[in-house]
Amino acid sequence: MIRVEDIQKHFGALHVLRGITFDVKKGEAIVIIGPSGSGKSTLLRCINLLVEPDSGKVFIDGVHVNRHGIRHEWVRQQVGMVFQSFNLFTHLTAIENVTLGLTRVKGMPHDEAVEKARKLLARVGLAAKENAYPAELSGGQQQRVAIARALAMDPKAMLFDEPTSALDPEYIREVLDVMTALAREGMTMIVVTHEMGFASSVASRILFMDAGMIIEEGTAEDIFQNPKEERTRSFVGKILR
Amino acid sequence: MADWRKFLRDRWRYVDAALALAVIVGSIVYIYDLLVGSRGLDVAYITRNYTLYLHAVFTNVYATTIAFVVGMGIGFSVGWLRTARAVSLAKFAASMRVEKRERQENLSGSEGARRLLVVLSLLWYGAKYLVRRVGDGFVEIIRGTPLYVQILFASSFFIVFLPQYASEGILIGIIALAINTGGYQAEIFRAGLQTVHSGQIEAARAIGFSRLKAMRYVILPQALRLIIPPLTNEYIGLFKASTFLFVLGVQTEISYIAQHQGFAGDVFEIFAIVTAIFLAITVTLSFIVQALERRFRIPGLGIERVKLARGVRIARVGG
Repeated sequence: MIRVEDIQKHFGALHVLRGITFDVKKGEAIVIIGPSGSGKSTLLRCINLLVEPDSGKVFIDGVHVNRHGIRHEWVRQQVGMVFQSFNLFTHLTAIENVTLGLTRVKGMPHDEAVEKARKLLARVGLAAKENAYPAELSGGQQQRVAIARALAMDPKAMLFDEPTSALDPEYIREVLDVMTALAREGMTMIVVTHEMGFASSVASRILFMDAGMIIEEGTAEDIFQNPKEERTRSFVGKILR
Repeated sequence: MADWRKFLRDRWRYVDAALALAVIVGSIVYIYDLLVGSRGLDVAYITRNYTLYLHAVFTNVYATTIAFVVGMGIGFSVGWLRTARAVSLAKFAASMRVEKRERQENLSGSEGARRLLVVLSLLWYGAKYLVRRVGDGFVEIIRGTPLYVQILFASSFFIVFLPQYASEGILIGIIALAINTGGYQAEIFRAGLQTVHSGQIEAARAIGFSRLKAMRYVILPQALRLIIPPLTNEYIGLFKASTFLFVLGVQTEISYIAQHQGFAGDVFEIFAIVTAIFLAITVTLSFIVQALERRFRIPGLGIERVKLARGVRIARVGG
């Protein structure tokens, strides 16, 4: 479903990604862990081309997407993205946040878009909040609206960039529940997170990244209980503690 | 006893407003007395002549409004240009060196194509750099020179290069005002556009918006709400500045002052009329804008709900 081949990315003198290669099959949920500054977020942004890789290839559903002649706007509709800081459109209500992309990007008629948005908000448990502005919602509710907004575009896969790390502890559960349900329904997902419970119960595989490279790859058990690499061991030791 | 206290507590706001009004009226009366107290204001003159000035105000209002709307176009375009990231020459040269080294290391791709790429990117960055610097220069020139001089400059420009339009004072005036307010509005728009959080743009791009559509549907609606107060300010400033158009032969209040026996006879009456007219318009405008702002207020964006003053705390000695 998603294939990444030898991606390199520099930000000025900083070498952020040093040859990343991996494969995500349809319906898989991949969790990426690693210390901050290891390039996890940049990797996600390279997949939907919010950041353009310097070299290497990105395939989505068999299509080589980072080459000339492919519109970035089209690529980004294929993969939904959820951000650490939610980034809901401040001037729009919850339901308008979900319908904006449908009506303005996909050209869907307004009524149809509203109907679809209602279903999605109900799916993330926020049917009652459709007319609330982002500032009137809790962090957890905002993040669930953001998930609904991404799902509205009917993406083939979803990217989550630390979706729970900006949340107060009491709101983390509700967001993880939505994500777990999504994974069970067979959505292909790549999740950057340090929620070990979520990683153990949902992830088909876990990738450990450090300094722009994938150091180790395996099931939750492999990574958390018997990591092979020294760097993995020390990182896992720090976050499990 | 308790009755009037309750009465006072319930109607405290009105007492407050009445007091404020009394202070304002009192100070105006005091100034009036200071200026013309001994002489008295010729009310008959005012009632006889105020329609004359009202007529001139319409000229001001429409000149200002046209100039302001045109200025919004200029301001948005220049302001947007000024948000463009111009790469510094040093950085550009550095990236070119990297490019060259990589070319020498791995000889992939044809040499011609590589060359073309370098030339194209040079052109692109050059154009961006140029446009950005022209925008900077425009704003600095407008901001840094007096409006009076700008109007005279516009007029002499027409006299020299387009003499057939040189007598169209109002047209020249509107053009000068539009360019002037465009420079100021460029800064207002730039501030507004840059205040919208970069995450908003990223989110819009992530669901497939193009740069232009993200501007239209996500950034601009937020930026415009944020810049309503400074834009109102700019409109009022421009409205007052439009009295300068009398130097181009446009009939404004000031020109009536100059024509009507001016500073010899009824000077106070004339100033009283002009002041009252201007105040009436600007105060009404700012009230309307405030009401609109409250009406279209969005939680978490721009002005918050009007805050009440904190209660006065008086320390109790000895509990």
